[in-house]
Amino acid sequence: MTNSRAAAANGQPVLDVRDYSLAYGTPAGPVEALRNVSLSIRPGRTLGLVGESGSGKTSLAWAIMRYLPANAVETSGELVLLGEDLRTKSLEEIQDLRGRRVCMVFQDPGASLNPVLRLGDQIAEALVRHRALSQKDARDEGEAWLARTGISRPSEMMNRYPHEASGGEKQRVVIATAFACNPEMIIFDEPTTALDIITARQILDLFDDLHDETGVTALYISHDLGLVSRVAQDVAVINQGAIVEFGPREHVFTRPSHSYTRDLVEAVPNPDHRIVTSEPDAEDALLSLDEVNVMYGRGKNILSFLQPKREVVQGARNVSFGLRAGEILGIVGESGSGKSTIAKTLAGLQDFEGSVAFGPRSYSGRHKIDRAYRRAVQIVFQHPDASLNPRQTIGKILSRPLKLYDLVPRSERSRRVRDLLRSVFLPEDYAERFPHELSGGEKQRVAIARAFAAEPRLVICDEITSSLDVSVQASVARLLVDLQQKTGTACLFITHDLNLVRQLAHRIAVMRNGDLVDLFESSQARAPERHPYTTQLLDAVPVPVEASQVSSAAERAP
Amino acid sequence: MSPAYFLRRLLAVALVLWIVTIAVFAITMVLPGNAAIMILGEYATPDQVAAMEIRLGLNRPAAIQYLEWLFNLLQGDFGMSLRLSLPVSDVVGSAFRNSALLAATALVAVTVVAVPVGMLTAVKRGTKADLGISLVAYVGTAMPEFVTATLLLVIFAAPGNPLLPAGGFIPPGESVAGFFNHVILPAGALGLILTAHIARQVRSEMSDVLASDYIRAARLKGLRERRVIWGHALPNSLAPAVAVISLDIGYLLGGIIVVEEIFAWPGLGRLLILALENRDLPVIQAITLLLAMVYALSNLLSDLVIAALDPRVRYE
Repeated sequence: MTNSRAAAANGQPVLDVRDYSLAYGTPAGPVEALRNVSLSIRPGRTLGLVGESGSGKTSLAWAIMRYLPANAVETSGELVLLGEDLRTKSLEEIQDLRGRRVCMVFQDPGASLNPVLRLGDQIAEALVRHRALSQKDARDEGEAWLARTGISRPSEMMNRYPHEASGGEKQRVVIATAFACNPEMIIFDEPTTALDIITARQILDLFDDLHDETGVTALYISHDLGLVSRVAQDVAVINQGAIVEFGPREHVFTRPSHSYTRDLVEAVPNPDHRIVTSEPDAEDALLSLDEVNVMYGRGKNILSFLQPKREVVQGARNVSFGLRAGEILGIVGESGSGKSTIAKTLAGLQDFEGSVAFGPRSYSGRHKIDRAYRRAVQIVFQHPDASLNPRQTIGKILSRPLKLYDLVPRSERSRRVRDLLRSVFLPEDYAERFPHELSGGEKQRVAIARAFAAEPRLVICDEITSSLDVSVQASVARLLVDLQQKTGTACLFITHDLNLVRQLAHRIAVMRNGDLVDLFESSQARAPERHPYTTQLLDAVPVPVEASQVSSAAERAP
Repeated sequence: MSPAYFLRRLLAVALVLWIVTIAVFAITMVLPGNAAIMILGEYATPDQVAAMEIRLGLNRPAAIQYLEWLFNLLQGDFGMSLRLSLPVSDVVGSAFRNSALLAATALVAVTVVAVPVGMLTAVKRGTKADLGISLVAYVGTAMPEFVTATLLLVIFAAPGNPLLPAGGFIPPGESVAGFFNHVILPAGALGLILTAHIARQVRSEMSDVLASDYIRAARLKGLRERRVIWGHALPNSLAPAVAVISLDIGYLLGGIIVVEEIFAWPGLGRLLILALENRDLPVIQAITLLLAMVYALSNLLSDLVIAALDPRVRYE
């Protein structure tokens, strides 16, 4: 920290990356990961590094930590920490520097904590190593840091194993470990991506507080432009290994110089920019759930006396709502809220009690669901990798529903497959390809095309954009809305992205612990009569900074 | 680990053993020839055989015979050996003790060698040491006991200048040195393939652990490599190693039959072969049940050890 202050005095940046290039050696030749990257972070500032998957943002973090795989080749440049080039340091010097002068907070706290060691020992070992404290002093200091990160009973937490703590608690432990050695810089690699909405918000607030308290310099890596606009004073945008934009936040957001940045800013879901225009016919009810209940863990089998009593979890509790023809209904909630339970129930994949009315018929259980229903209700899953058979060509995948429901004569099928591909803006010759030859976004388009191939009246979309990059996500969402409006199919859009759902849903249902707690018109999201939980969720999500907001937020910068 | 869990597991072991009794009994019923013929010899007349069958109760329905056999088993009465005219429990008891000595020696040696070797090759992954050891281990897994046993005999017990005895058994109560002298070769033959297999498994487990996010996090905390390996990686690799070892106990039980025969070790394996040659049904039944029980209990034991090693494993 003293170094940092000295640096602040003479205006020297804490981290200065100069013309840095990195490639990975592969059997097919070197692959460039970073190309002539230059950026710097001034003392006490937070630099947000934004990029999509594969852009090289994490490679830069590994390079700074000097933790590169054996096949990495550094072709040019310097990585300067307070005047010292990290590239010239020996492994021993680096081991002494890691965790003491530069720390790192990772994406998934569940994976980055050792499962068989107590949390307290995992904090204390860093203090023993870098601050030469005794075991006892290290534990006391660790406990004090846990308290500073807002853990309510720190001494109890010290003795817990990772699996005995929640995701938010684990991330607090990781953050406490990073801050405890008083480093000059901390690298945050998507620290909230693996967490629930409200927990993520709390971690973000914690980051702000600790940053203000300690004045640490931070590199904040994220794919989420909205989030970065909230935490960082400076922003660097990286695309295909090159920095395309670097400057103060207000510059990057209001006057982006590069077209890639402009596209990225535009792709960030913004609840004020609706992408759905038409309204469903208010009279025409398509589907209604009446007191639907789902229990998990109530399976019976012949050897059950040899198994422990399983805890029964209620996935859905007395859920009732209706859906009109041609309506897009968004369902939001945190993980475990029951939103996917509703998706599985309506897709006929989950046992349930209560009744589901669809058109003229009513179904009182999974086994009552018939072929006509299955054809009329299609589902698109989160991970296209898992839902497309890797051994079938795209053409075969798309012709399955046509054959199953006998929708077009055999001779017409390949023509219809080509139509379907065109309708999701994919080239016709993709019919010959296998799923692994397509990108993530393309695969999800195929999955959408397959759902629409059955000419359904309702399509359930279960987190279909969450595994995709922001720009791809935007185009998939637009495609879905486009198809939905052309065909008049109703859509149940399940997501945890509140900004996205406010862009495209007519109405939004909020679920929590299996209960449907709120249901409202999208335009009424901020109305005073909203359920407190809905308001809490909406408040937790950073809305992309608009030009007008930037200046006021930037004033917090030290 | 809750007592209820332990009870349920014991119940499951009992269930497995009960199913094994049915299988064992059914197989002995289906086999050609029965106890009456065995006792009387192959020149007995059909009348004599019929009379003996009545005396032994072999003419009764199979279910009755099974229940009677099971009832006696539960009281510890395995019947009389047809060949040796001794109670089966006496014959099998001492053979079981001898086999257990051999198997335990082999298992301890295997564990002591294989786990560190597996760890070492994982840490040194991709180096010449790793390649060399992995190649040896690969060859080792491909060599069955009767091959390694013969090789060991040729190398260490060649006539003329034998370094070690080619066979036989001295109880450790009589002479500990003598016991070890005699146990080295059979335990080596038994253990070589298992060492190779377990070392390979531990290497792959340990490699996965070393590639995990938490090892990366430990290194990026600036911990020294020694602390990363011993403090972070090792505790995570032990539980899977125990699981592999317990699975290999099944293989060990099969290997012991071959090895005991080759090295004239008076254990269950030799006894089983003798009993099979003589159609000594009560002995065959008792040994089969015993092996099944050892396997089921060693699995239970390994689950208990895994629960002790990994705090995430909590049996309810």
